[in-house]
Amino acid sequence: MEENNKILMVCHACDALQEVSHIPKGNIASCICCGVRLFKNTTSTIESPLALLIACSIFFVIANIYPVLQLNIAGIERETTLVETAYMFFLEGSPLLAIVVLLTSIVFPGFCVFSLLYVYLAIYFKKNGFFIRPLLVWSSRLLPWAMMDVYLLAILVAVVKLLSLATVILGIGFIAMIGFVVLYAACISSIEMHVLWTRLDENCGGAQCE
Amino acid sequence: MKIVAELSVNDEIIRAKNVGFASCHICDLVITLGNREAANCPRCNSKIHYRKHDSLNRAWAFLISAFIMYIPANTEAIMVTGGLGQESADTIISGIIYFIATGDWPLALVIFSASVLLPLLKIISIGYLLIMVHRGNDLRKKEKTRLYVIAELIGKWSMVDVFVVALLTSLIQLGELSYITPGPAGLAFAIMVILTMFSAMAFDPKLLWDESEEK
Repeated sequence: MEENNKILMVCHACDALQEVSHIPKGNIASCICCGVRLFKNTTSTIESPLALLIACSIFFVIANIYPVLQLNIAGIERETTLVETAYMFFLEGSPLLAIVVLLTSIVFPGFCVFSLLYVYLAIYFKKNGFFIRPLLVWSSRLLPWAMMDVYLLAILVAVVKLLSLATVILGIGFIAMIGFVVLYAACISSIEMHVLWTRLDENCGGAQCE
Repeated sequence: MKIVAELSVNDEIIRAKNVGFASCHICDLVITLGNREAANCPRCNSKIHYRKHDSLNRAWAFLISAFIMYIPANTEAIMVTGGLGQESADTIISGIIYFIATGDWPLALVIFSASVLLPLLKIISIGYLLIMVHRGNDLRKKEKTRLYVIAELIGKWSMVDVFVVALLTSLIQLGELSYITPGPAGLAFAIMVILTMFSAMAFDPKLLWDESEEK
């Protein structure tokens, strides 16, 4: 995207048609009519979201392999990983809840992070990968359904609840989740979707190049 | 720092719909839609409409269903705690009361706002916006738009209790000694959160601005 190019935008909240001329980096352009954020000229280059995404995907894998919480009640030890919490719902006769937990806490965040990583890698190496566009469409659709951050809050609540009953040990998975949630938030706020789409167009020299 | 976007033509605000323009919800590309109802985005192949398809009906349907689910979500048991032959069912409210009684104020506050207050506020906000669109009320449109943006953001945090039950169910499984199983409110809760999110997504804030200009 050229710095001085004006971009034609339509506000998603009030339908005001407007041209956004170049704004300094790090600033947010607001809608002329309703004041809702149109976009942010993120300070990041292509490398910094890419680095964040790589770190995010590593944390994601660790958070899923290692137990998030360990418990010690009267000498009996129990631990649970992310997947096991969903699986236990399944065993306890709530398959629908199991699916909801599985999708929102593992499948959707994972899908978003790995698709975005794939898209960024393709842009970085100036290659045309398969399914780049559909993956980017679906990751922006699924973004509101990725709830790792809510899950992190739930772990904290669960810890406080359990403290009166047992000795609670925060697992490696929990530390990785904190890392994931923090980096994920930093990452999402540094990605501006329409800029990414423009880059994708430049990357392959035209609007249509699947 | 915030910068207000520059105006393109003259000093009048132009609604994209009135000049045949529409933008893609996914990639923000602006295209000329003209007389067509909908088109596929040339860049990302998503559907582009002037307004979200059947916005009001769908938003109402999801919202009313969400409100119906809100009732069992709060009156039924969210989890059943058992051990040594005894069982006790906990609702969200009884959990909050328990934490207040034991002096865990911060925790009671978190659960109360995430599980009781936020969903209710969200349902009321979207209901209010829908009624305002039906009435063609065009006062304080900026504030209403902001209300919509906030309502859309807070929705997913209500899911916290479902995850807490998932964690507790999975950790407290010590056979006859002590166990926790999910109650019916868990599912009602998850469905309620999902429905409010669908409702917010179905609602088109542009309708708030349309109505006033057609009058």
